Amino acid sequence: MCGIAGVVFKDKKLHPVGEIMTRMLDALQHRGPDSAGFSIYGGLGLAEHEYLLNIEVKEKSGLLEKVKETVNATTKIETEEIIPSVENYNIYRCKIALNSFEELKPLIMDVDKLEDVIVLNGSHSFEMIKDVGSVKEIADRYNTYSKMGTHAIGHTRFSTESIVDRYHAHPFQSYITPDITVVHNGQITNYWKIRDPLERKGHIFETNNDTECIVHYIADKLYEGYKLEEALEQSVKDMDGPFSYIVGTPNGVGIAKDQLGLRPGVLAENDEVFAIASEEVSLRAVMDTHDIDQISPGETRAYTI
Amino acid sequence: MREIEIDANSKEPREINRAIKNAAEEYDKIIIKNPNAMHYMLAGLTKPVEVVIDGSAGYFVGTMIDGAKVHITENAGWFPADNMTDGEVIIDGAAGDGVGQGIYGGTVVVRRNVGSRTGEIMKNGTIIIGGNSGFMSGLFMMGGRIIVLGDISDDAGESIIRGTIYVLGDIKSLGKNAKIEEINDNDKKELKELLPSYGFELEEEKYDEFRKIVPRSKRPFYGKETEEG
Repeated sequence: MCGIAGVVFKDKKLHPVGEIMTRMLDALQHRGPDSAGFSIYGGLGLAEHEYLLNIEVKEKSGLLEKVKETVNATTKIETEEIIPSVENYNIYRCKIALNSFEELKPLIMDVDKLEDVIVLNGSHSFEMIKDVGSVKEIADRYNTYSKMGTHAIGHTRFSTESIVDRYHAHPFQSYITPDITVVHNGQITNYWKIRDPLERKGHIFETNNDTECIVHYIADKLYEGYKLEEALEQSVKDMDGPFSYIVGTPNGVGIAKDQLGLRPGVLAENDEVFAIASEEVSLRAVMDTHDIDQISPGETRAYTI
Repeated sequence: MREIEIDANSKEPREINRAIKNAAEEYDKIIIKNPNAMHYMLAGLTKPVEVVIDGSAGYFVGTMIDGAKVHITENAGWFPADNMTDGEVIIDGAAGDGVGQGIYGGTVVVRRNVGSRTGEIMKNGTIIIGGNSGFMSGLFMMGGRIIVLGDISDDAGESIIRGTIYVLGDIKSLGKNAKIEEINDNDKKELKELLPSYGFELEEEKYDEFRKIVPRSKRPFYGKETEEG
């Protein structure tokens, strides 16, 4: 299993989506105890060309300074914050400015060269929070309750295919086009068939995790000019296996479900909110509704603001 | 009638099920408040007690029950009434995949739409769907009857071996080993007795519009049709 959830406020205004997504994920805790994560869109308020880096750094003498030196070699660190995590790791967060989005991935790869350091993500229009542990532990650690935004996606992970650590926690992000993230419940059984053409196009894979494959696939389709709905529909045709996944973009969320419908997905919507999740119990954390739609096998749904 | 309310708020499925089983020893009717779409409620309940779940249930509600009469006032998740041997599960709202999966007897009623694989591997019993039923409904069905008052989606009756699926709406496509037959007077009589008893009041002419999905062969995979018993 794994639990996935997404929520969009249709009025495009800021809402306490951090708190809402925390409740949605807590309701799905039973689907995955290993790690959890959030992409909270719309509330960062960064200026054009500003980015937020989340970097996992082991507690080791002088290592954080090396991280800062590496970042400063590309661009000056504007603000910074250290969030203590578990197992002798801290999350170093810093705000930077770049000349263009294209400079972001090379900077991340430079920092990743340092031993015991890995960049969890770099973003402009959303805040990623992901870590090992339960939803409540992570929510307390990062104070997700205080995060405002227009929409969000989230995940509780039951690991089956790859190791349990912060980097392999969902959401996964792609840098093919800005700020695309994915949370996923399932397996892509023709993984290499999907990955190979993406690598041939020059896209970089950091793991063998199939969720990373999905996020690059979707980001590549969006980069090629597909609309979110079109990218989701094409993915259902191209990808084999049991899956249900949610995409977050700077202006919306979408869900796709495999053609045999082997992983769950439910949806509820009213005039204010569009919400999707693995189970009804999660939707009830965001709205009081009796009308729950089952996402059908092979169906996709999306909402953009 | 002796009646008791159990509040499911902030309790684990195991605690609730233990409380329900204890209550079923002493009470005739159990009302579960604040179910909050919890999974596994009523699992293995074997007393013929009346249960009202006042709200939505999660996965596997009423799995392996024998004789209880269950009324869910909102929705249910995947596999409601899974492997039930006897009793009744009535869901006023919608339900997920695998409604009545593997039931041996009893009746499952869902008043609105359901997900995929309704009645998969069911051996006997009755499933009534007030709305639409999804992909591969009646998958490897081995007996009993499914009645769908709305539409039935792709691959209906996939690998059906025995049993009947009655459909009032559209049949999108049939699965392997499934064929459509017109209903006869006995079928109509059976439906006219059954449906009103669960609150489905159809006009007389509607009963003529039902079609039934039945198996082509009882041995579609393991031998030759001529070897059928």
